[in-house]
Amino acid sequence: MDRIVAQVLVESAVKIALFFFVILTAVAYMTLVERRVSAWIQDRLGPNRVGPFGLLQPLADGIKFLFKEEITPPHVYRPVYLLAPLLIFVPALVTFSVIPIGPAVELHGHRVRLQIADVDNGVLVILALSAMGVYGVALAGWSSNSKYSLMGGLRSSAQLISYELAMGLSIVGVLMAAGSLRLNDIVERQAEHGWNILWQLPGFLIFLTAAFAETNRLPFDLPEAEAELVAGYHTEYSGLRFSMFYMAEYVNMITASALATTLYCGGYHVPGLHLLGLPPLAAALVQVLAFCLKVGFFLFVYVWVRWTLPRFRYDQLMNLGWKMLLPAALLHVMWVSFIVLMDWS
Amino acid sequence: MRIEFFLLIAALLFAIGCVGVLIRRNAIVILMCIELMLNAVNLTFVAFAHENQSMTGQVFVFFVMTVAAAEAAVGLAIVIALFRRRLTTDVEDASLMRW
Amino acid sequence: MPVPLLVELIFVLVIFAVVQAYAPERTLLAGTVLGAGAAALLAVNYQALLSLEFWVGLIGFVAILSALLVVIHPNPMVSILFLIVNLFCIALFYLILQAQFLAAIQIIIYAGAIMVLFVFVVMLLNLKAEVGLRLTAAPQRWGAILLGTAFVALLFHAIRGRLDEAYIEAGMFDSAFGAARGLGGLLFSKYLFAFEAASLLLIAAMIGAVVLAKRKVR
Repeated sequence: MDRIVAQVLVESAVKIALFFFVILTAVAYMTLVERRVSAWIQDRLGPNRVGPFGLLQPLADGIKFLFKEEITPPHVYRPVYLLAPLLIFVPALVTFSVIPIGPAVELHGHRVRLQIADVDNGVLVILALSAMGVYGVALAGWSSNSKYSLMGGLRSSAQLISYELAMGLSIVGVLMAAGSLRLNDIVERQAEHGWNILWQLPGFLIFLTAAFAETNRLPFDLPEAEAELVAGYHTEYSGLRFSMFYMAEYVNMITASALATTLYCGGYHVPGLHLLGLPPLAAALVQVLAFCLKVGFFLFVYVWVRWTLPRFRYDQLMNLGWKMLLPAALLHVMWVSFIVLMDWS
Repeated sequence: MRIEFFLLIAALLFAIGCVGVLIRRNAIVILMCIELMLNAVNLTFVAFAHENQSMTGQVFVFFVMTVAAAEAAVGLAIVIALFRRRLTTDVEDASLMRW
Repeated sequence: MPVPLLVELIFVLVIFAVVQAYAPERTLLAGTVLGAGAAALLAVNYQALLSLEFWVGLIGFVAILSALLVVIHPNPMVSILFLIVNLFCIALFYLILQAQFLAAIQIIIYAGAIMVLFVFVVMLLNLKAEVGLRLTAAPQRWGAILLGTAFVALLFHAIRGRLDEAYIEAGMFDSAFGAARGLGGLLFSKYLFAFEAASLLLIAAMIGAVVLAKRKVR
């Protein structure tokens, strides 16, 4: 086999395994973080009995889910019913393949990028995968062959495609500034000229709102709220398959937070790190840590907003997406193009 | 790797789409077969663009995709409007103006 | 040798289909046979995995198979799913043919928006699987298949008769070909009028779709 091909394959396999492991652990602990932070906001204690500070709680939850009985209703359309959780889970994970978590490092003479795939149109890959995520929801609703699931799936996927537009347009602002579709170029541009959030604040807010809607989190979680349509599109799922939906929501949250940091908050860039004069490997480690801290901050914001804002009604939600966010995003694009043209950034 | 391979696959896809439009009675499946034909044509364009190293082929694919999106949207709106009246998507049932 | 490997893989797939047809409950057994057969074949001929012909042949086979299933499957939702598989295969072809931007755009627009529209319509109209696939009347059906076959034969003959031998080799071409920059440059300079006309078309289609599908308020 060709030497270079083998090298690339091994490198990618190691990176993929590492990313996969880290993200799934993060998802598991995100459930605990959510419960503890919610408890803190609501002035009570969260789970703190299982292990020190409740750190083994996700393990207990995982074991519980594994032992739950998996009931497959007889009236579902089985092939699509089994496929739907994967269609939500996989695109969210694959989005991570184009996000850079650190600068390129030199290991044993090889230049290793801390990114699985450095494609020239990374942003388009992200948009494509978020478009794919809509299918999981719609097909889960359809294949369950029940009125509530169908309506829930329809509502949820309509919400997803409505906010995709606003998200795409806010990303266009970032693209115009960076002049390239590569995520590495976007991060490098923010390293040189200051983070995008500083001069594209409206775009950042639009992106964050759209990300909340895309991940079906409060205040946009009407499709899966407890008092609405039973449980929406995942009514007929139980046991391990239900936990896949649950985990997919957290993976989507982590992906959206990673995107928000990469596109607007400088990704792995730490302002002023070059002044410290650290050896390159240590500097890379600090930057990876900075990336993780930024993503963690956005995840905290997710939980914070959940317990701060009330839920939107469905028509208010669609109103916001089409009549307020979309024109705002268009105006933002015009404004950013003006600034880029005048070279003021 | 010869470019003929892509042209042959595109030709086969186009023929399958054509036959699908003529065989099926469900309006939505007919619209899908039209999309299949458009995709086959796109593949041919991209293959020729690659062979001649000319971006014009890819620009044309861009426009074909735009037209396909517009046509799918309007076609489906018509199917919905028809369904409201007749509660069927069967094109054989829309025979009011047949001789 | 990519072609024999492809033929063997198709053979294993046919065996899977036959087992599935004769013993619908034993899906696990059929799936295991398929997986084991494919794995064994790939392990023996792993060199073929590196050749471009094998992958193009495999993706082409999946594309044509999914296109056939789009046309003949009675359930419209499953037809949509197979069409999505087909669109993915075509996006992969675009990647092989150095049209990276178009591959991403294909997935975003075709598989991610147009097909979602189809899924919405099927869910809104609550279309079930057709009981006994309804096809057009026999004369039209057989005429269509006959003419389709003749059409394919004609196209194959025309394509095979091409005089120029065009070969694609990896590493032969400019890496900036097919990137967004080149396409954008052409769209905004040479094809600007067509671009603006396309935007007008989209607005007309948007208005048309909203007006046509609107429920008449009494």
